[in-house]
Amino acid sequence: MTTINREATPEGDNIKGPNQLHNDLHDIWGNPRGLKALTIVNHTTLGLRFMVTGMVFFLIGGLLAMLVRTQLALPDQDFMSPDIYSQVTTMHGTVMMFLFAIPMLEGLAIYMIPKMIGARDLVCPRLTSLGYWCYLFGGIILSFSLVLEMAPDSGWFMYTPLSSSEYSPGLGSDFWLLGITFVEISALSAGVELVVSILRTRTQGMALHKMPLFAWYILAMALMIVVGFPPLILGSILLELERAVGMPFFEVAGGGDPILWQHLFWLFGHPEVYIIFLPAAGIVSTLIPVFAGRPIVGYGWVVFAITVTGFISFGLWVHHMFTVGIPQLAQAFFSAASMLVAVPTAIQVFVWLATLWLGKPKMKLPMLWIVGFLIIFVCGGLTGVMLALVPFNWQVHDTHFVVAHMHYVLVGGMFFPLIAGLYYWLPLFSGRMPSETLGKWGFWLTFLGFNGTFLIMHWTGLLGMPRRVYSYETGMGWDIFNLLSSMSSFIMSAGIAMVLLDFALHFRFGKPAKHNPWNADTLEWANSMPPSAYNFVSLPKIETRHPLWDDPNLPRTMAEGQHSLAVATHGRREMWGTDPLTGKVREIIHLPGNSWWPLFAAMALAVVCVSLLTRLYPLAGIAVVVAGLFLLRWSWENGAHPKAAPDAEVAPGDPPLHSRTMDGPGLWAMSITLLANGSFFLSYLFGWFYLWTVSPEWRMPETSPLSLVGLILAGVALTAGVVILEKLVRGLRQGKDAGLAVGMYSISALGFVQVAVTLWVLLSADLAVTETSHDAIIMVGLAYALLHGGLGAVLTLLQGLRVGYGFVGAHAPFEPAVVAQWWRYNLVTFWILVGALAVLPRVIGS
Amino acid sequence: MSITMQRLNLTHPLHFVIGLTLWCIWFVAVYGGHAVACSVAPPAPEQGVFTLVNVMLLAVSIAAIALLAALTVGCCRMAKRHEGRLRFNATVSAGLYLFSTLGVVFAAMPIMGIPPCL
Repeated sequence: MTTINREATPEGDNIKGPNQLHNDLHDIWGNPRGLKALTIVNHTTLGLRFMVTGMVFFLIGGLLAMLVRTQLALPDQDFMSPDIYSQVTTMHGTVMMFLFAIPMLEGLAIYMIPKMIGARDLVCPRLTSLGYWCYLFGGIILSFSLVLEMAPDSGWFMYTPLSSSEYSPGLGSDFWLLGITFVEISALSAGVELVVSILRTRTQGMALHKMPLFAWYILAMALMIVVGFPPLILGSILLELERAVGMPFFEVAGGGDPILWQHLFWLFGHPEVYIIFLPAAGIVSTLIPVFAGRPIVGYGWVVFAITVTGFISFGLWVHHMFTVGIPQLAQAFFSAASMLVAVPTAIQVFVWLATLWLGKPKMKLPMLWIVGFLIIFVCGGLTGVMLALVPFNWQVHDTHFVVAHMHYVLVGGMFFPLIAGLYYWLPLFSGRMPSETLGKWGFWLTFLGFNGTFLIMHWTGLLGMPRRVYSYETGMGWDIFNLLSSMSSFIMSAGIAMVLLDFALHFRFGKPAKHNPWNADTLEWANSMPPSAYNFVSLPKIETRHPLWDDPNLPRTMAEGQHSLAVATHGRREMWGTDPLTGKVREIIHLPGNSWWPLFAAMALAVVCVSLLTRLYPLAGIAVVVAGLFLLRWSWENGAHPKAAPDAEVAPGDPPLHSRTMDGPGLWAMSITLLANGSFFLSYLFGWFYLWTVSPEWRMPETSPLSLVGLILAGVALTAGVVILEKLVRGLRQGKDAGLAVGMYSISALGFVQVAVTLWVLLSADLAVTETSHDAIIMVGLAYALLHGGLGAVLTLLQGLRVGYGFVGAHAPFEPAVVAQWWRYNLVTFWILVGALAVLPRVIGS
Repeated sequence: MSITMQRLNLTHPLHFVIGLTLWCIWFVAVYGGHAVACSVAPPAPEQGVFTLVNVMLLAVSIAAIALLAALTVGCCRMAKRHEGRLRFNATVSAGLYLFSTLGVVFAAMPIMGIPPCL
């Protein structure tokens, strides 16, 4: 392992003044203007784009909420028709959860994480860009359904059979399923790169136990996205296949089960709450020590609590389904797990209180929102424990009590800390301070309006008012509570409008901020305000959790180029690649520059989405191929490619470029991607076994329709491919690349053999995919195997070509190791599929 | 035992996630096992909690508790032997193993009081 024990790279570069260094780095990292601004991959710009777009969707979601409250303000209102009301409530939840909360927090993480960990960008900048465009296009497509009055209307959870074609024959459900899946590409891409960036690009010396707590929270959130989103993606694909083609996954008569949708949805949906909460709690854990003027009490306890929350939140999904007829013992398991998750949350609350208690808190504007968060979120947590109790849950299920609880947790747990964080980091974004007066008015109106709306809604719910009804008769005892809720919601809106006004005005009228205005301890405040495109002129060695408290001169010395990698003559975008545990330097990571490919790929995917919506399947197929070509071309410009890093020269004493090693961040990115893929695959297996064991009308033929011999032949080809590939990778590790190109072509040929034989098995099975869920789910499994086999074959073929071009070889051995991971994954999942779909049914029988 | 614990490298941060992963596996095993047992061979309701299903679920739970408790003790010992980063890792891991152990105890308690498949 290479470690760097020095203060600065080449002396020749240090002779340059800070201004010259800034200009040199700006030439490499700076953002283009005009149309080329669409090619920007820089995390600062894209983080801001995410957040601004998120706020636009927040305004749309908020407007929809106001329409709902207007409709419910008085009994027997006909302000909206029932159909429109259903669309408005569905879209309110959908927009707030999928188009505001997650992208907004991801945007903040994308913006903040590299700055906090002393890096110059995220590790996969083009992936950030792809994520943004997918989010924007998916959000626009989904929102457009409102304009067309075709919006989804089955609730933001899209329960089947209400969302199935029989009861929702229009395009509403399709807009939701396709739009959300499109947006989830964005969430997953951000999840993958945040994980890898946090683990592999922290500045020198920043060991895991010295990492800022915000990075711990984002690491947990990103991993939860990676594991938690795929079940919903699978569910969405299955439901869209049912609606478009008629595969009966959720239809009892065809051997499906509508409850399977609920399982897949809540396998995602409950972790989702914590995916939203954890980054917000990260903001709280960042701000409280700063305003208390002392380190957080119990750093290790917070790490403990984050980890527990991340895991336990995956064991609670059935508490959303207590009334669907699950056995009592199973309910008890989930009830217990639901209570367990209160423990780590409580630990964090006590840590925050103890830090405030032992420090000298300053009640600045961000702290006001933190205090509001503490009050509201603790109340929401307490009603959460109440809802974990099965008998109570049964009583208030589907009432406004649940709506009130949910908003206490989500608005209290996410929105209040978010605003606190935005106020805190505004000086970093703009170099200006917000208005205390406007900000305080905004807070109090929001806080009072929120509690007036949702505290009262608890009582409306306890009085039995069901959720999702568009109107109610007078005399039920709900009139006054609904009126008060609606009036308060408008007060809350006025508060939020004031906050947004403050944000907007401060860019023009805010007082110029002094450097590090809150006397914070973390590295983001070592940036210029607003930050430059490359973040830091030089990258420091960090040996403490509070770098700016322990060395107040650090921002100056960093800007003067007195630390590492203060060199720009090579023309590459560079930063450290460090050991995930110790923070010791391993290699120099070189990053790609601005690129059109992410935008083009996202546009092609948008065409796929729209053509699937409009049932133009041939066009969708063409667009898939085009998107694939764009993505492959993107992957071509890597490693030793002339547009990446053709010249591997580094300064004396510096470690090698990552593309010249066997352990670059791409390897980690592939591993994390495969983790998401594995979650998808496990969800599929869950669906298969669930329908097999639980579905009331499940029909399995006496003999499996799949040719076992064919599948074994395909598996042998795949296994042979993996064996050869492993041998070639072992050779590359030893610096040998003889026969590399031929080997890659041979492996690719084996991959195509696997695909051809699997395709033959599929076609010869003569599956009746629209008649039984058994055949339909087999079809999906084999399609999964085909896709993975095909992609593996193409990637290996490209590797063969790259060897020919000189982009891959003993001098640049990195990429075959990445492709090998894909093949290994393919091998494992293929044989599991063979076992689950073809062997087990033969052994156990129907 | 101590050699096994040494081989497990209990100061590695991977142990932050192993305990809770084991908890998750246990949780899926008892929930899924219960569902499959009820589908294949549901016991008669008159048997109450004294069924093979409850016994099996309890046995799996006790095994999980024993494993997690042993790892908790191992991490505690490791934490005492080290300083700095390694001590931090072992201490947090010990806490997480302890939570996972108690998590199994707490969530498994209904097995002793509630009949299956009802």
